[in-house]
Amino acid sequence: MPALEMAQETGKIVSWLKKEGDAINKGAPLLEVETDKAVVEVEATADGVLAGVKSHEGDVVPVGVTIAWIVAPGEKPPADSPAAAPAARKVTEQPPQAASMPAPISVESSARREGGPQISPKARRLAKEKGVDINRIKGTGPDGTITGEDVLAAAAAPAAAAPSARAPSVLSGIARLMAERTTQSWTQVPHFVLTREIDVAALQQAREKLGPAIERDRGVKITVTDLLVALAAQVLKKHPKMNASWGANGIQLNPQINISVAMAVTDAVVGAVIPNADAAALADIAVQRRNLTERARSSRLKPADVTGGTFTISNLGMYKIDSFNAIIAPPQAAILAVGRIADRVVAVNGRPAVRPMMTLTLSSDHRVVDGAQAALFLNDLAEAIRAPEL
Amino acid sequence: MTLGEAVREALAEEMRRDSRVFICGEDIAEAGTVFKVLTGLVDEFGKERVLDTPISEAGFTGIAVGAAMTGMRPVVDIMFGDFSTLVMDQMVNQAAKVRYMSGGKCKVPMVMRATLGASRRSAAQHSQSLHAWFAHIPGLKVVLPSTPYDAKGLMKTAIRDDNPVVFFEDKMMYKLKGPVPAEDYTIPFGVADIKRVGTDITIIATSSMVQVALDAAKMLEEFDISAEVIDPRTVWPLDEKTLIESAKKTSRVIVVDEGYERYGVTAEIASVIAEGAFFSLEAPVKRIGAMHVPIPFSPPLEDATIPTERQVFGAAKALCG
Repeated sequence: MPALEMAQETGKIVSWLKKEGDAINKGAPLLEVETDKAVVEVEATADGVLAGVKSHEGDVVPVGVTIAWIVAPGEKPPADSPAAAPAARKVTEQPPQAASMPAPISVESSARREGGPQISPKARRLAKEKGVDINRIKGTGPDGTITGEDVLAAAAAPAAAAPSARAPSVLSGIARLMAERTTQSWTQVPHFVLTREIDVAALQQAREKLGPAIERDRGVKITVTDLLVALAAQVLKKHPKMNASWGANGIQLNPQINISVAMAVTDAVVGAVIPNADAAALADIAVQRRNLTERARSSRLKPADVTGGTFTISNLGMYKIDSFNAIIAPPQAAILAVGRIADRVVAVNGRPAVRPMMTLTLSSDHRVVDGAQAALFLNDLAEAIRAPEL
Repeated sequence: MTLGEAVREALAEEMRRDSRVFICGEDIAEAGTVFKVLTGLVDEFGKERVLDTPISEAGFTGIAVGAAMTGMRPVVDIMFGDFSTLVMDQMVNQAAKVRYMSGGKCKVPMVMRATLGASRRSAAQHSQSLHAWFAHIPGLKVVLPSTPYDAKGLMKTAIRDDNPVVFFEDKMMYKLKGPVPAEDYTIPFGVADIKRVGTDITIIATSSMVQVALDAAKMLEEFDISAEVIDPRTVWPLDEKTLIESAKKTSRVIVVDEGYERYGVTAEIASVIAEGAFFSLEAPVKRIGAMHVPIPFSPPLEDATIPTERQVFGAAKALCG
């Protein structure tokens, strides 16, 4: 199981693209793996024949564990090679004469201890029977071993909370990540929220003016989101703290302006990143956003697609939402929640008029920016929307 | 009644019941064995049925095999189990094989009594527990009583069995007292006895280790750990079902036997548990046996080589976490 991300501990095999016995070419797609953030196609690292497939679709496998072998034609994969972590494999690969040497008793017993299971056989069986994800259980046995009681407690917990509800399905990695991150943000980041109603007539005109040429040249229809990404990126250049991160050492300004666009994927939301949006042409932003949307819909986002964002835009206008408060995606400092465009009666030069209006809601991390700084940013953004220079 | 008296009573009752039963061995008649287990038998049954022999284990065991094949029911007395080395050809290649190789025409209804156990300060050649050697051989049954009641009932079954039986008594247990009924009774082979019922951990123990296990169970009780103690009573035939059922119930198992731990009875029973109850186990099966050294003559060193209740207690606590 290859490590596809820095902190990845396990990978779930979505599908094998080759079968046992198939010829494999180096660089050709071999299997699809789901990490916490995305589904990734893993390419073959060598020419040969796929053999000894140990892990199958749906299996969650620790990084570094052998999942299959690529062998020379006619060659057999090592017999009964245990699906062992690299450390354990190293032991079996020691020269045989070392293994047959009598070991001092103390060494023998300490080795036995280190090799002890993190989950008991009973617990493993019960977890399978009850459909409990063992990765979510904290062991209470010796050395943190997960015991049968731990599994039964984990199986009973959600049932007790919602006795009439259907059996909860096991969370996918990405849904679990969303749950963890939003909880962390909501409980640890001091949010404050600013709201601004904006006349978007000029923005709509800009879209009508620029749209046809971009569609003709690049094959993509520009959206309100594309325009907001381009404008926000420009305004952020003047407000570096809105584009900053909160970290262990306090406020860190980010050298790049990478706009995350919130996108729905199966049972979760992710921030797909348009890097260096301040330097990108509107057409390039539109193409990138379109490609990210398509990958998100087919669960094919790569880890790089969802990392490195410095400011997020979340648009629920297409769902007819007037306005909403969004949760910041740490370590980012702010998120802009975009409502729908609707005709409203407003006062223009002392007289009632019907204008296309949109409500922007900015959630900010008060550790990074204060109300005045965020208000200045939102005001500059509103001015940019009222008179877009694109 | 003591365990020694229970063995003597079983022998006496069987000799009265069946005139084919006789005993042979070293220092068994007037001396009544060095452990005084057979005291008085020669007075009742005479020197022909309580037969003193020269120091010649291979010889008188061979006599017993031949006598058994020709219709007698001999009981051979091997003073120290360590002397088993001398009778191995008779027991392993003759007694254990004759019924099979004669196509069932000959049978060998004999009992070989021997002692096991350390801590008597008898040094390396008189302190070993070698019962696993016999349990390894197809055709031999191996009995290890842990109480006077079991000793008498199992000895009667051994004498009445039509096949060779090896009967090991722990020499430190001859003075152990326990209730023994007056009426005639036997205990079938291959039936384990649950000496103490518990829920958290199973301690499987043989011979004198049963008492060690019971003492450890008492210590564990103070830590709210409920230990079940099971005595297989015969290591072959082995009551695998009872052992596996208990393992499934408690999820944790320790096996204690005074034989050498390496390649021993503990290994066999641990393997039975691992195969039969693996998916019910919370922890690896723990074996506790004699240290892999010649039993020392020095008392402190001798005591350090054999399993103790403290050791069993410590292992149980570690397994229960």
